Amino acid sequence: MSALQTETGPQPVAAPRPIAVEMTGVEKYYGKFKALSGIDLTVRKGEKIVICGPSGSGKSTLIRTINRLEPHDGGTIVVNGITLDGSPTSVQDVRLECGMVFQQFNLFPHLTILENCMLAPRLTRKLSKTQAEALALKYLERVHIGAQTHKYPSQLSGGQQQRVAIARALCMEPPIMLFDEPTSALDPEMIKEVLQVMEDLAEDGMTMICVTHEMGFARRVANRCVFMDQGEIVEEARAEEFFEAPKSDRLKAFLAQILH
Amino acid sequence: MSALPIDFALAWDSLPQMAEGLVTTLLITVLVLVLGLPLSVLVTLARMSRSRILSWPAAAFVVFFRGAPLLILLYLVYYGFGQIEALRDGPLWVIFGSAFACAVIGLTLNHVAYMVEVVRGSLNAVPAGLVEASAALGLTPRETFTYIRLPLAMRYGLAAYQNEVVMFTKGTAVVSVITVIDLTAVANELFEETYDPFTPMLTAAAFYWCLVNAIRLGFGALENHLNRHQRREQAVKPTTPAGAAAAAAEPPAGAPVAPLRRMIGSDRRPVPVKAAAPALSTATPKEHAL
Ligand SMILES: Nc1ncnc2c1ncn2[C@@H]1O[C@H](COP(=O)(O)OP(=O)(O)OP(=O)(O)O)[C@@H](O)[C@H]1O
Ligand SMILES: [Mg+2]
Repeated sequence: MSALQTETGPQPVAAPRPIAVEMTGVEKYYGKFKALSGIDLTVRKGEKIVICGPSGSGKSTLIRTINRLEPHDGGTIVVNGITLDGSPTSVQDVRLECGMVFQQFNLFPHLTILENCMLAPRLTRKLSKTQAEALALKYLERVHIGAQTHKYPSQLSGGQQQRVAIARALCMEPPIMLFDEPTSALDPEMIKEVLQVMEDLAEDGMTMICVTHEMGFARRVANRCVFMDQGEIVEEARAEEFFEAPKSDRLKAFLAQILH
Repeated sequence: MSALPIDFALAWDSLPQMAEGLVTTLLITVLVLVLGLPLSVLVTLARMSRSRILSWPAAAFVVFFRGAPLLILLYLVYYGFGQIEALRDGPLWVIFGSAFACAVIGLTLNHVAYMVEVVRGSLNAVPAGLVEASAALGLTPRETFTYIRLPLAMRYGLAAYQNEVVMFTKGTAVVSVITVIDLTAVANELFEETYDPFTPMLTAAAFYWCLVNAIRLGFGALENHLNRHQRREQAVKPTTPAGAAAAAAEPPAGAPVAPLRRMIGSDRRPVPVKAAAPALSTATPKEHAL
């Protein structure tokens, strides 16, 4: 459970570490539409994975199957030893293993920043009010929101809201963090502050799976980059190779588009 | 005096009687609202349930009691059940033998049938992303309902609820047909005693008017309270260091969880119907869409 590994930086991990997420042959259908086909992906503890690909390629679907916001229809997913078989306990357990940050922030509008962060620790981890508050303040400080904790989400800028959303997820102290395009809804000047928080998190050794098109972030932080298209993983490589020497034509075309 | 159709002396003298009638009207209103709210939520949950054993009876309930004319419904509850011998001799006769209790039952059935649509619409208006975020944090569906969906739905549904409460309060006048002496029944009695066609009715109308406006003000206050997260937006937005500091000092450090409780407990609704609609439409996109 501890996220205290001290390994930093984007170097590939030397000795194989314990596996955090293992997806084998994962399939997902929306009705008849096949959104994921034959997804194989292994993420080890402390690794930072960046997933990119064109719109509609299934990136969100993939990341959402990991904490079972979307149930998968075939293959297996194992998260920190928990097999996602749809049983209520496995669903609950896996959600405690994974924190998630969404494109749209999804802060609870009727609760203050502090309440947003305290809700889950109080209910799910059964912390007392004092404990939950101390915890919330700790993580809000960490994302540099410590001074605005009494405000409501609508009173913060987009970048601030997203940082609160990160703090809210961290308050559950999950060993794995999932990010689904965390900066796509932000104005350019706010993207940096959110990416900075994510990089700090990466340096602390958090296991991270990020769907993002921030290529600078990917180069600096990612151990591996994964390129998806039409529900498949087309290419998977270390960050340098991924950008400097893409193999598949689809990735080349995609990179050409992204890096204009 | 003769230019006006109102006999002020009669109006003045009728005040104590009118007040008694008003108390009955109020009592019925409050009872139905108090019974109706939790029942509405329960029937709505049944209605929205995936299990047909729950959703079908709930749907049938709504279709039947929305369609049933209120007047006839009251007749049926009061006079109809009196025909059933087993009921007359049983312990439930305490309820079905009382016109007042029958009025409350009939009105509640009608009110709940209308409220189910209001509650359902409000629950559905809660953005899916918020429910997902809550689930992703490990909250159970029940906790998500209690702490996220219901409090937000309450805010979205407040305008429609106020409408229903006002309509229904005025509608309580029908209870006089089953011998309950409410405000309208008092006015009617006075009319029959005095043959003054205007004074008692207009006096009663004034009472209703005051009642409805008291409801309106109550809802206004409640809406202000529930939507404080939006209202403060304008006040705090220019984040000068001074403003931030002042605001930071304002709530006691321990505030976070207590307001949550309060929100879940409360229910009535504010603000005039006209103002409520924009409040709903600005609230949702503004907060969730960014
Ligand atoms: N709830 C749903 N019902 C039906 N189809 C869906 C649903 N969610 C996603 N899809 C489809 O599945 C495919 C993959 O969607 P997904 O959201 O995973 O793409 P994405 O890679 O995250 O795209 P984007 O970059 O635009 O966020 C899309 O073609 C989409 O239309
Ligand atoms: Mg997506």
